[in-house]
Amino acid sequence: MNLIKIQAISRKEYYHLIRDFRSLYLAFIIPLLLIFLFGYALSLDVDNIQVVVVDHDQTDLSRDLIQKIGASSYFHVIGQVADDRIASRYLDDGMASVAIILASGWTANIRADRESQVQILIDGSDPNFAGITRSYLTAFMLRYNQNQLLDFLNRKGMEPIHPPVEGRIRVWFNEDLESRNFIVPGIIAIIIMIVGAMLTSLVVAREYENGTMETIRSLPVPAAEFLIGKAIPYFIIGLIDVLVSILMGQLLFGVVMKSSFWLMILASSLYLGVALSLGLLISSVTKSQLVANQIAVLITYLPSLLLSNFVFPVENMPGILQLVTLIVPATYFIDILNGLYLRNLGLSALWPSYVILTIMCGALSVLNLIVLKREGL
Amino acid sequence: MNWIRVRELVRKEFIQLFRDKKNRPLLIVAPLVQLILFGYVVTTDVRDITVGLLDLSRTPESRMLIDAIGGNKTFRITEVTERPVDMDQLLLMRKVNLGVKIPPDFSVKIRKGQTAEVQILADGSMSNMAAVRISYMFTVLEQFNNQVIRELHPVKMSYGKADDRIRTWYNPNLDSRNFYVPGIVAFLIMLLVMLLTSMAIIREKESGTMEQLMVTPLKPLELILGKTIPFILIAQAQMIIVTIFAVFWFDIPLVGSISLLLVATCLFLLSTLGIGLFISTISTTQQQAMMTTFFFILPFFMLSGFVFPVANMPKIVQWLTYLNPLKYFLIIIRGVFLKGTGLGSLWPQFAGLLILGLIVFWGSVNLFRKRLD
Repeated sequence: MNLIKIQAISRKEYYHLIRDFRSLYLAFIIPLLLIFLFGYALSLDVDNIQVVVVDHDQTDLSRDLIQKIGASSYFHVIGQVADDRIASRYLDDGMASVAIILASGWTANIRADRESQVQILIDGSDPNFAGITRSYLTAFMLRYNQNQLLDFLNRKGMEPIHPPVEGRIRVWFNEDLESRNFIVPGIIAIIIMIVGAMLTSLVVAREYENGTMETIRSLPVPAAEFLIGKAIPYFIIGLIDVLVSILMGQLLFGVVMKSSFWLMILASSLYLGVALSLGLLISSVTKSQLVANQIAVLITYLPSLLLSNFVFPVENMPGILQLVTLIVPATYFIDILNGLYLRNLGLSALWPSYVILTIMCGALSVLNLIVLKREGL
Repeated sequence: MNWIRVRELVRKEFIQLFRDKKNRPLLIVAPLVQLILFGYVVTTDVRDITVGLLDLSRTPESRMLIDAIGGNKTFRITEVTERPVDMDQLLLMRKVNLGVKIPPDFSVKIRKGQTAEVQILADGSMSNMAAVRISYMFTVLEQFNNQVIRELHPVKMSYGKADDRIRTWYNPNLDSRNFYVPGIVAFLIMLLVMLLTSMAIIREKESGTMEQLMVTPLKPLELILGKTIPFILIAQAQMIIVTIFAVFWFDIPLVGSISLLLVATCLFLLSTLGIGLFISTISTTQQQAMMTTFFFILPFFMLSGFVFPVANMPKIVQWLTYLNPLKYFLIIIRGVFLKGTGLGSLWPQFAGLLILGLIVFWGSVNLFRKRLD
């Protein structure tokens, strides 16, 4: 291993980066944009459900029900319409996602101690949104009915009864149930993949396309030095991105890491190592910038987003794909991020993921060396 | 305008695109992988909730509650612990989604007619999932309450009950696939068209053949047409192929009209081709072009409602989404696929796509011509 040779290759790569100012600029802007978007604008939580009401009954009781729905922090009654058809137009046009229809005679049925139908229509096209909406509505109606029952019992002159069981919720790890708290850390995994794998996927292919690979072959630089030299500038960029992300998450969005900072840096470095060697490997195998970039998107960016337990839970996937998630590096990094950011875990609990990332990094580097050696480096 | 020259250029582009074997994965494998990924992976359904149990009461009443939870098909009691510490560990190590703690005085209180508190510990790390899990648990508790009250007061219980008939429209089983698969085509077209358009021009620049094109009798407009027509054809083919896949492979209902989809694709292409041209004008190397493309695609994707609902975004950002062609296209695709809506409902989206597309395309073409001269 010759440090001077590594330095020389790194400097060459550094000049490439500096000269191509926009790529460098984007390597810093894209992470900022992502953190900002995810922290500020994007949320999977449902707390502003637009409700349109058709009240054919128009009594105190029906108005009371509507008022109770509107008073809940999840629902927002945008208005009342006269006709069921208009309400369904609202759903078609996406102006409301829930329609509640009270038939005439609704109150009369309730007053006569009979079951009385409430028709509720939900726009189900977005299943995440609709599922949460439905469960809020069910819970709301159950509570409403329980009050009706207690009211009935008390009216019949029975002693006032209390509900037998009450659930006391304690939410752990993410007390306010804000999706931001798991998405902002998770986005670091995506950023590292974009900066690490997508930028480096172009690096060796560029040498082939420009014909400068011949020059490098004739240089007294062995494969290992070549690889390390190529990786170092991107490693530094990636690490700066990680630091900026941690800081922005904390300062702008109050997403605070509970566990040790150095464990985070260690994990990020390992994962960055995986990303860089993956990118370089793609680059030397494909030898074409366009194809390398597309493959990098396909096998690094998308799996990190989709197959890593980031937003979409692995436990919901079909069995084969659950196995696939085991070879996606982001799965382990997300696991570490979750432990460090939300659960305040240490190395004693998270070591398996660290070990696996180390093994992946090592194996990919060896593969890289083999490929480059075969190319005569 | 000479159509023969345009045709020859289109032919050249196609030959160039398909001669390179490495482009084949780009055109065929990449869309397929993405279709499968989104079709099978992307689901936010809450089906199987794992529960850890800590019963400090051990009475018939507490067992009744446990049966009520275990008997519900969404819940699966996977762990039964003896000590509170173990329960904490279960949650910490992600072994269970919810923990249920039944206190020692559980049945004493119920028999006295008081309210017994059951502690529910939820792993909130994925907040949207946690919210659904918690409300499912609440539903079970409320049902349990109704049952107990009925047993405690065995009088005739016909009280004025609001019977909620919830119906979910457009996607009755709340199948995530129905939501995501039709949307993929929008994403695929955007990605492929922007990237390939900008690449097709950048490569001419990089390999120096742009100079040769300049000395041919091709006019700038003919050059632009020749460079964009291949991708219009490819995008339409993709739209049709993905639709066939969605309907026959993934069983996605296609309620509306497919011709409306093809019209929408054309309008959508105006803006994506325009952006592709713009990128090729402002970039000099492939790397630059790719990074710039990515820079456009990321916010388009995130702020389109593809995964993250637009209604959840802050007001200012919601206004920004009006500049996002992908958002309009997605609303159209989902409307046509799931709701079967026609122009009557979707005209604002069509208008949005058209206006945005014309502005972007016209602007890019002008810029491109200026640079060419």
